[in-house]
Amino acid sequence: MARKLLLEKAHVEGIRHYDVYRREGGYRSVEKALKMQPNDIVEEVKKSGLRGRGGAGFPTGMKWSFLAKPDGVPRYLVCNADESEPGTFKDRYLMEFIPHILIEGMIVSSYALGSNTSYIYIRGEYDWVTDILDQAIKEANENGWLGKNIQGSGFDCQIHVQRGAGAYICGEETALLESLEGKRGNPRIKPPFPAVKGLWGCPTVVNNVETLAAVVPIMNEGGEAYASIGVGRSTGTKLISACGNINKPGIYEIDMTISVEEFIYSDEYCGGIPNGKKLKACIPGGSSVPILPANLLLTTAKGEKRLMNYESLSDGGFATGSMMGSGGFIVLDEDQCIVRHTYSLARFYRHESCGQCSPCREGTGWMEKILLNIENGKGSLSDIDLLWDIQRKIEGNTICPLGDAAAWPVAAAIRHFRDEFEWHVNNPEKCLTENYGLRHYADPIHVPV
Amino acid sequence: MIQFNNTDLAKVQEMISRYPEGKQKSALLPVLHLAQVTFGGWLDVPVMDYVASLLKIEPIEVYEVASFYSMFNLKPVGKHVFEVCQTGPCMLNGSDQIIDYIKQKLNIGVGQTTADGMFTLKTVECLGACGYAPMMQFGKTYREHLTKDKVDAIIEECRAKAN
Repeated sequence: MARKLLLEKAHVEGIRHYDVYRREGGYRSVEKALKMQPNDIVEEVKKSGLRGRGGAGFPTGMKWSFLAKPDGVPRYLVCNADESEPGTFKDRYLMEFIPHILIEGMIVSSYALGSNTSYIYIRGEYDWVTDILDQAIKEANENGWLGKNIQGSGFDCQIHVQRGAGAYICGEETALLESLEGKRGNPRIKPPFPAVKGLWGCPTVVNNVETLAAVVPIMNEGGEAYASIGVGRSTGTKLISACGNINKPGIYEIDMTISVEEFIYSDEYCGGIPNGKKLKACIPGGSSVPILPANLLLTTAKGEKRLMNYESLSDGGFATGSMMGSGGFIVLDEDQCIVRHTYSLARFYRHESCGQCSPCREGTGWMEKILLNIENGKGSLSDIDLLWDIQRKIEGNTICPLGDAAAWPVAAAIRHFRDEFEWHVNNPEKCLTENYGLRHYADPIHVPV
Repeated sequence: MIQFNNTDLAKVQEMISRYPEGKQKSALLPVLHLAQVTFGGWLDVPVMDYVASLLKIEPIEVYEVASFYSMFNLKPVGKHVFEVCQTGPCMLNGSDQIIDYIKQKLNIGVGQTTADGMFTLKTVECLGACGYAPMMQFGKTYREHLTKDKVDAIIEECRAKAN
């Protein structure tokens, strides 16, 4: 059983409330941090090897060290709680059940970065979660962890929650800052990066919920102890939100040494596929990362067992690998149609494109329409090449990564499942009533008993 | 006349106070949420103009924001809004069938409101509840692991409240 750092206390009765959280050892990391120099905290986070948990996997300590510190200009910490990547619902779990771990991590991080006012930007639909966070902040204020001169340290710290209003794009950090300023969520051109010019033009760090929560165990146990968990550059623990066709959908905290196969089939995690069905494909890191057929998911092209960590999931690049992404693990069983599923994701990206860059604004709509045609038996073989062409022209040609995020799922679906697209085209009647099924994808897989 | 009561005006002041002096525009999203709940579930032009006056910004700054975010309704909606997620993971778990069932049960299409003004059906993209699919947003919270029976129960619950 893997060690839990974030969810260890998740099932303690009443852990949502301050008294219980404190009794269970909460806010120790703040006590420790306030006795340290802010820069030493940054060093500790660097030592931990913590990588951003929102999807990009950028080293957090390094991101913090980029923060500009001009005299007389306020600095800001913003927590990205705009969790909207399909397949991802881990941050909600943390905020809903252990809200104080986020507040605690934010206080330590605010102190380390010199942010006197920090914000949590939460997706608008998490309305009740906003209330839970507001309550946690109120309790932290009442107990002297927030406000003026916290714990007699001379450091002032305040945290506010702002709800978004339904826009996936606001998970992109510069779109988030625009939204926090009361504007449309249009991503900014970088550079300048937020570390230099962020919220209201001031130096700003934007971190994911899980990243900021992970600062708590890093402070409590030390960066080196945190780095000793996991493997290679995948240190510490990672929350995986598992969904799709599995017996036990939910949130799992893993150390990143277990295999993908164990994660899907073991009763400790997903518990296998319902009704004895076979695994067809999986998107291991949120809808934007490449889908993999079962054989490449479980075993890398080199023939090694694929593990649930940053390096192993991306082994083989996009040709035969995928990405850890946000940890949104979506499993497709043998009855699922790849064309239909890809269409659903393409519709999502068309809906969420902010419309600033024409390759993304136009391209996502074209991809959606072509995919719907193919799915409905109205496609032609040249449509498949056209789709490939469009996604290539979106990727890398937009201000923000939403373009890439929209292109990759389409590219991977064609790369690995082209025969299923062709089958739809060649069987326009049959594809309306039947699914293509597994064909060769499941051949190399054994299902452990 | 469009006007927040004193309690809501105090809330608006608290929202503005979260941001530095002169950055009151940042309170736009929170204030629009409050306005939508207070003034009938949608944002009519006079409501947006009122919000602009409260935040001392131009009306166009409110319109462009209200029209960008999917949670702000620019047309009237029913008393109860079913916002059913249809993205990938929900689709894998039968969201299409749930949407079809609601359409048939309420005799409306997606984006439409029942003649009695009770229900609006909307489809939405990923709400971050993929492990509990299929699901929908219903008011302040989510209804998850939806089945036809659960949909029936939710509709009954709404009708019971109305009587």
